[in-house]
Amino acid sequence: MGERPVILKAERLHKSYRMGATRVSVLKGVDLAVEQGQFVAVIGASGSGKSTLLHLLGGLDRPNEGTVSFDGQDLNRMRSWELNRFRNEMVGFVFQFYHLLDELDVLENVFLPTMVSRGIVGWLATRKAARERALKLLEQLGLQDRARHKPYQLSGGERQRVAIGRALMNEPRLLLADEPTGNLDSTTGNGILKVLERLHQAGQTIVMVTHDERVARRAQRVITLADGKVKT
Amino acid sequence: MYKLKLIIRYLVRRRITHFAVLTVALCVFIVVVVMTVMNGLVEEFKQKNHDFVGDCVVGTKSLVGFPYYEELMQALEATACVEAVSPVVKNYALLRPQYGGDRYVELLGIDPVRHSRVTNFAQTLYYRAADPAKAFVPVYEPNALGCVLGIDLALWRDARSEYTFDATPQRAAFSLTCFPLNARGAPAMAGTTVVSSQQFYYSDNSHSGIARVDDSTVYIPLDQAQSLCMAGERKRITAVHIRFRAGAELYGGCEQVRRLWSQFRQARADAPDGRLLDTVTVESWKEHRRAYIAPMEKEETLMSVMFSLVGITTVFIVFVVFYVIVSHKTKDIGVLKSVGASSASVMGLFSGFAFVVGLLGSVAGIAAGWLFLAYINRIEDWLYSRFGFQLWDRTIYAIGEIPHEVEFHVLAVIAFCAIVACLIGALVPAWGAARLRPVETLHGSRS
Ligand SMILES: Nc1ncnc2c1ncn2[C@@H]1O[C@H](COP(=O)(O)OP(=O)(O)O)[C@@H](O)[C@H]1O
Ligand SMILES: [Mg+2]
Repeated sequence: MGERPVILKAERLHKSYRMGATRVSVLKGVDLAVEQGQFVAVIGASGSGKSTLLHLLGGLDRPNEGTVSFDGQDLNRMRSWELNRFRNEMVGFVFQFYHLLDELDVLENVFLPTMVSRGIVGWLATRKAARERALKLLEQLGLQDRARHKPYQLSGGERQRVAIGRALMNEPRLLLADEPTGNLDSTTGNGILKVLERLHQAGQTIVMVTHDERVARRAQRVITLADGKVKT
Repeated sequence: MYKLKLIIRYLVRRRITHFAVLTVALCVFIVVVVMTVMNGLVEEFKQKNHDFVGDCVVGTKSLVGFPYYEELMQALEATACVEAVSPVVKNYALLRPQYGGDRYVELLGIDPVRHSRVTNFAQTLYYRAADPAKAFVPVYEPNALGCVLGIDLALWRDARSEYTFDATPQRAAFSLTCFPLNARGAPAMAGTTVVSSQQFYYSDNSHSGIARVDDSTVYIPLDQAQSLCMAGERKRITAVHIRFRAGAELYGGCEQVRRLWSQFRQARADAPDGRLLDTVTVESWKEHRRAYIAPMEKEETLMSVMFSLVGITTVFIVFVVFYVIVSHKTKDIGVLKSVGASSASVMGLFSGFAFVVGLLGSVAGIAAGWLFLAYINRIEDWLYSRFGFQLWDRTIYAIGEIPHEVEFHVLAVIAFCAIVACLIGALVPAWGAARLRPVETLHGSRS
């Protein structure tokens, strides 16, 4: 370790939620550095704040204290439009419950991130290239025959692969996966992990959170989250 | 771009949006139909009153009337905006048919030719429409005195508001009885009694389309009316009706007449019977008939208020529908934000969706309303022939067809309001949705 540049760095992250009158502290000073090309697994019990951490890392939420910096840039200092652009171009999210849009078919779900960042004219100009990229991704994920299907026609594993396709659409430098196998049986989950491993081999930086030790072991590096802090 | 795609998909795939469109369409439909019919009825009624009265009236409510009208008419005719004038005597009389019975009527003494230049009197006639000069000449008794009866005094109207006319007016004689008043307003002795009577033959009928006029007015020649109802040295009338030239502005014209009248009156303040001029007022046709028009307009206003309430209900329904849609779609909002969509963009998505719902609803509602109005009279006819049911009982309402002229600007206003209603209804939930942090919407929810 240490020979590659750090692209993601979290320092003294604090996050608490208001629950009625009381505040619940979920993260109490998390420090974390991820090098480019690393496959990091964050393991922790259910409710330990893994999803919260991942949302902070991906700019979906802001910490109460501490900083997240990506490529040396502080996310806290970004304006909201810069943050939107950051999420669109730099990060890909994969969620436990896939979160595909029911009204769109598989292909459309995959190229959604490109569509979101383009107006009508811009989209017409890039549509062909975007479709080709989406189709290529589907092929790599073994879903080439499913392009015109609706999410409800797919199995859980297939849906998660579509979600991975969507996350990779804009060639993000960082892939964040929140219990990507949590809702799948072990064989199917294994398939998803193999996809992630392949991506890692191709140079993709990945941060995956899980509560399952066997899943975590598939990663290059494992970090444990407990009591709102990273255990060393 | 994703917005357009998602708007279309939400529209096509979500059953609840079909209901939203249907709700908007129904409200638009109801408002279009009611507004068109009400507006049509009021406009038609106003037009009939305008046609009946002319543009402007210089007149008095006194039955004694006022003198010097010949000079007044000369002065009026010399005024730039005046096209024609007609002297009128209005009074009440007792009508006695030959075979007994009696009833009170309103008497209008007119010069049929002059009156036809100011009002649509000639067009309201049946037999003498082409030649109003002969309005008071009975075909069956050309040398006798004729009178024109309001159509409901002369003929029966059937349930479809239609009259059955004979080829020539039926021979019938009436006596009209009045109390003649002298210039001081006292009953004048006519021979040995205080009443004067005159026999008339039915020469034609007049259909003004105003029920109150048609069922109680008898038209007789001006000089007959003057000798029946008035006594005294100087001839008097109760009103001069005026028609303005084409293009003359109604209020400007009335103002000009008013100025002329006040000079005219001042110049004759000390003339004999000059005080009779004090009761005379100058009114536009709208003012002159306001006692009849105002209730109709009130009714229309009331309708508008009631249907504004329908509009508010629409806003509320749309609000509820959008609330449901948005709460079903919070996950989508989270997903869209996680891939980089801005809050403004999400807001745009739902406002655009509301706009399209409003637009489709309006188009559907207007199309349905238009179609319904195009067939409304046939539908009413069918209902009547099948079930004997009539929306407007024609034995009471003097209307022929139900108005169905759709006005483009009314449609435009209604569609605009419907779309605005949808936008307002969608604004609150859409704003709430756009503000949602993606984390809150994505947390643990299943797909
Ligand atoms: N938006 C929120 N509002 C309130 N409490 C929250 C919110 N998100 C998470 N929490 C709470 O924070 C804690 C950590 O949640 P989470 O990060 O989802 O844990 P994990 O993903 O490790 O299961 C839990 O107790 C959860 O109830
Ligand atoms: Mg979690």
